[in-house]
Amino acid sequence: MTPRADEPVIVSADLVAGHDGSTELLVRLRHPNGAEGPVVLDEETGLRLMKNCGAAGLGELVGQSWRRIVEGS
Amino acid sequence: MQLTRQRRFVTPGPDETVEALALRALPDQPVETAVDAIKSWNLHIFAMRKPAGLLLGSDVVFVEPPLS
Amino acid sequence: MFDVIVRNGLVVDGSGAQAFKGDVAVKDGRIAAVGAVQGEARQEIDAGGRVVAPGFIDPHTHFDVQLLWDGAARPALEHGVTCIVPGNCSLSLAPLRAGDRRQVVGMFQQIEEMPPEAFTTAFDWSWEDFAGYRAAIEKALSINVAPLVGHSVIRLWVMGPASQQRAATADEIAAMQDLLRECLAAGAVGLSTSFVDTDENGRPVPSRFAQFEELDALCAVLGEFDRMLQCVPEFFATDITIARIDQLAELSLKHGITTTFSPVFDNAATPDNVPRIMARVEEQFARGAKVWPQMQTRPLDLSFSFLRPSLYFARLPRWSRILRQDLDVKLHALRDPETVAKMVADAGPDGGDKMLGRLICRGGDAAPAAMVGRTLRDIAAERGQSCAQALIDLSLENGLDVAFLDASLGHENSERIGPMLAHPLVHIGASDGGAHLASFSTYGDTGYLFSEFVRKTGAMSLEQAVAKITGETADIWGLKDRGRLKPGLAADIVVFDPDTIDREAELPAFDMPGDGMRYVRAARGVETVLVNGQIAYADGAYTAARAGVVCV
Ligand SMILES: [Zn+2]
Repeated sequence: MTPRADEPVIVSADLVAGHDGSTELLVRLRHPNGAEGPVVLDEETGLRLMKNCGAAGLGELVGQSWRRIVEGS
Repeated sequence: MQLTRQRRFVTPGPDETVEALALRALPDQPVETAVDAIKSWNLHIFAMRKPAGLLLGSDVVFVEPPLS
Repeated sequence: MFDVIVRNGLVVDGSGAQAFKGDVAVKDGRIAAVGAVQGEARQEIDAGGRVVAPGFIDPHTHFDVQLLWDGAARPALEHGVTCIVPGNCSLSLAPLRAGDRRQVVGMFQQIEEMPPEAFTTAFDWSWEDFAGYRAAIEKALSINVAPLVGHSVIRLWVMGPASQQRAATADEIAAMQDLLRECLAAGAVGLSTSFVDTDENGRPVPSRFAQFEELDALCAVLGEFDRMLQCVPEFFATDITIARIDQLAELSLKHGITTTFSPVFDNAATPDNVPRIMARVEEQFARGAKVWPQMQTRPLDLSFSFLRPSLYFARLPRWSRILRQDLDVKLHALRDPETVAKMVADAGPDGGDKMLGRLICRGGDAAPAAMVGRTLRDIAAERGQSCAQALIDLSLENGLDVAFLDASLGHENSERIGPMLAHPLVHIGASDGGAHLASFSTYGDTGYLFSEFVRKTGAMSLEQAVAKITGETADIWGLKDRGRLKPGLAADIVVFDPDTIDREAELPAFDMPGDGMRYVRAARGVETVLVNGQIAYADGAYTAARAGVVCV
């Protein structure tokens, strides 16, 4: 599903160290106003996002809609 | 001393739903659009909260996207 | 006649002033003289070539439970820490009705990862109110304790199960104010609240159900007593942290209180996080608000095992696909030589040496003892395998229950962290001592401050570093009796070797009730620790001294 032009999309994804020793997922969203902002997803939510996007690698998250992040929450 | 402008936020009222909050924050928009906007600006709440959709009185809910 | 004289040391008095050669004399639990001290003492300690400093203060810990059977909060004391602040993040063990214990134990277990025996066999649960908890820990303290009272337990006491369901009524808020007054009168150093913690079922802790008005009302009580507010904000989310800073600043200005939030992390993926947070903190301090960000010295380590799903391998799609499957499918794939050959190839032409070689086998699980603490590179070499192959085989041989640590993957760039820690508005702390027991060690951050940021990068002078974790911390928390080597103040003193003070490697220890496991780090270079004038730790051993007090 291609995201609509008027909604936030993921422009990058990176792994970060959580405060509790887990691996967390930092995705950067580009909003329709052109601004970008980071969202840090805990390990469980990050794994769910990968699954929602059918992604095995971080690169496959780029271009996905913000909606994939809340799906199944 | 003047504070620099930061991203605007509200905190949910007692038992306030996301729909009610969205209408309070974005009164000029259709409710569905407003709810979508609020959700997409507040994934720290809407992606990870258990139970899903629960709003808390202590939540910081942004009512605008990140500042460009 | 003095009780103790520490002679010929390099006196670093905790004020930030230049160190000087001299003596520190102690009498009746207090510092009696500093400088060239004449006279005799019952006991003299030779501190030649050593630093004599005020005992360190650790402002963010979760030793609430451990203090009930271990009044030294081991191994905090041996690292030179003479005063700890438990009760952070909205959770304390009082006030707590007997009927609510189970619920709070669940929340504590979520944060501390303590075995259940810690709550059932290790102590006699004799209190409900804050004064009762204080009396229970005071029986055998060898470290000083400045306890916070948790917003979540105050809420639970007043509201019962509704504390995790709804906003409070005006009457309930008034009852919480009265209860907070009682706790502060009984010796609580302040109130802690949390915006992130959950119970063992993932449900937000009670403090998170509070409207801002409730927190405001509780802060009015803190204002009456001139005590602290601590909170834990959302991690790495700069905009949210700034919103929290603004909320805390409003409370600080309105009620004349000091507030602190912890932790604040630096990270390569969010390089503007700390600079933006500090810019806001500076703006708020300029308005007169006191909003202290707490930053830990140690880097963040990651750990994973093949047993549980992890994002760790999200950079290696094939590994990621295989490891997220159900256990039997995963095992089948990992036993298939063709699949494994492809996985090893994915790890790089060096067989994963560069990518995985630095991983450390942690121990405390099914890992063979001979592997614990060693790098995968070392283990692979011994086995005559590539790193990737060794990782897979070692995991398979032990039912996949082998955890590996990837050290320093966040908050790790010392060139950046050093100047941040040295910032006059950064409060060094956030160790989380006594928490995350089964995940990583939360001890020795003070030793790491000296080894990494005084000796190695030179971001701070010895005097600055000592002041940060003694005098400045005491000032922030209003601990008027501590933090400096000054006649009349409590004699909390640490003697350490400035050339060697450090934290040792992280190792599993089985010293929790019911032989429960936790990761710990021993101290290096700390020789003698005095608490209220008595030697509590010397020559590598804890003494029988029990001079610790609950202090505000
Ligand atoms: Zn904590």
